[in-house]
Formats: sequence, C-alpha cells, structure tokens
Amino acid sequence: MSIPKRIIKEIQRLINDPVPGIQATPHDDNLRYFEVTIDGPQQSPYQNGRFKLELYLTDEYPMAPPKVRFLTKIYHPNIDKLGRICLDILKDKWSPALQIRTVLLSIQALLSAPNPDDPLANDVAEHWKSNEPDAIKTAKEWTTKFAGAPVS
Amino acid sequence: MSNLPRNFVLLDELEKGEKGGGNGLYSYGLDKPDDTYLEFWNATLIGPINTAFESRIYSLKIRCGQNYPDAPPTARFVTKINLHCVGPDGTISPHKLQILKNWKRSNSIESLLRELLQ
Repeated sequence: MSIPKRIIKEIQRLINDPVPGIQATPHDDNLRYFEVTIDGPQQSPYQNGRFKLELYLTDEYPMAPPKVRFLTKIYHPNIDKLGRICLDILKDKWSPALQIRTVLLSIQALLSAPNPDDPLANDVAEHWKSNEPDAIKTAKEWTTKFAGAPVS
Repeated sequence: MSNLPRNFVLLDELEKGEKGGGNGLYSYGLDKPDDTYLEFWNATLIGPINTAFESRIYSLKIRCGQNYPDAPPTARFVTKINLHCVGPDGTISPHKLQILKNWKRSNSIESLLRELLQ
C-alpha cells in the first residue's frame, strides 16, 4: 500500500535530523505506526526517565491528528492510566500544518509543564492541586519505577 | 485503508463501551483500569426476554491476545449457562460460534456480545 509523500518526508527528517531527546521509528511492516521514546525533560519530575509511546497516522492524516499514547506508566495530571494524553493539538486545535515532530515536542513540553486545571487523570490533578510537592514526589517515584530513572 | 494497530483498536472499543449502548442489554470494560495492553475484559449480558435466559445477568471474561483483532478473542462465561457453544467450565468453543469461527478484523467485543444475545 502506498504511503503519502508527506509522511515519507516526515519519516526521513525524523531519522536524519532527530529532535534531541525524542526518537520516532516507524514499524517495518506499517510505516504509519511509530515506536516513540521521549526522554523526561531536565528540571521536571520525569528527568532521567525514558518514556515509550506509540503513535499512529490514520488515513485522514494530516487532516486529522495522529493517535498517540504513552506505553510507559507516568504520573501526570494530563495523562491517564492508559497513557492517553489530554492535549489540545491532538483534538480540536489540530492543524494540518503540524507534524509528527511538533506533536512530540508538544508532548515533551507537557511533561515540563503539567496543567492540573485541565486534567485527564482527576485523582492525579487533585493531588497536584492540593499538595504539589507530594505529587511531584510521586511522579519522581513512578519515573524511577517505570521509566528507568536512577533513584534520586 | 491501512489497518489500525491493535492497541488503538482496543482503545476505541473501550471508549465505545464506556459510552454504553445496546439498550442496556450488554456492557463491557477493562478488568483493570490500568491494563496498558488492554488484554483482559469483563462483560455482562442480560438474558433476552421471551427466552429461557430472561432477566438473568450473565458475566463473562474476555481476553484479547496480542494478535487481536486479526485473531478472535477468547471468552468464558463466569455465570453458569446452558448454551450449545459453552463448555462445562464456561469457555466458549470457538468452533461452535459463527462469529469466532469466521472471525473478521472488523468484528469487535461488541459484535461478539451481540451474537451471544441472538
């Protein structure tokens, strides 16, 4: 089955000119389906963690956003128990001008700036709002436990 | 049409299941809400009226393996039931139920439940 030129170009650029801290590799048998890793940003509770994600470009892409979720467990108010991500550009703020790389950069930025006022994981958001230092502590523990960061 | 990968198929199914539907005759969801690979599911069926199963509640356990939806799920009744396709331990025999026997990628947990209600 043929893959649109735009997707091929995006893949080539992701491989030849990768974004620091982000890897995205398409599956050999399905070039629309990517294995992604995002390194937890410095100064965030996810620092030194490596987070696995999966991303899929539907037939509607780029008119519709990619489907993307975390496979590594993460304690974050905008990411739920199944790794689904609450991010406007993945929903109503999607624009065909955005790309795989911009989506992944936005997700990386979301790790640096959790937004408990627009939560997907309500219990985590409550924790964040009522006791931020304790929530950050839990997020760090999860990063060690699930994302391979050394014990801090 | 490219094939939606397994995990995203199951995420869509979960969303549909959470919305409900089926006139309350069936429901389904994940056994554990943090099952990242969406493998183990629970379902309930209400026995259709004017049948021997009328107004009884039946629970099932459904497992979607790594090759789902290319391969069918496996399913087992937890509630005792007398049906030709169900073995003594509650397991649904894949050879005795049309939908499992002739499984298609477009089928779903929901279509399995619908077939069981027939």
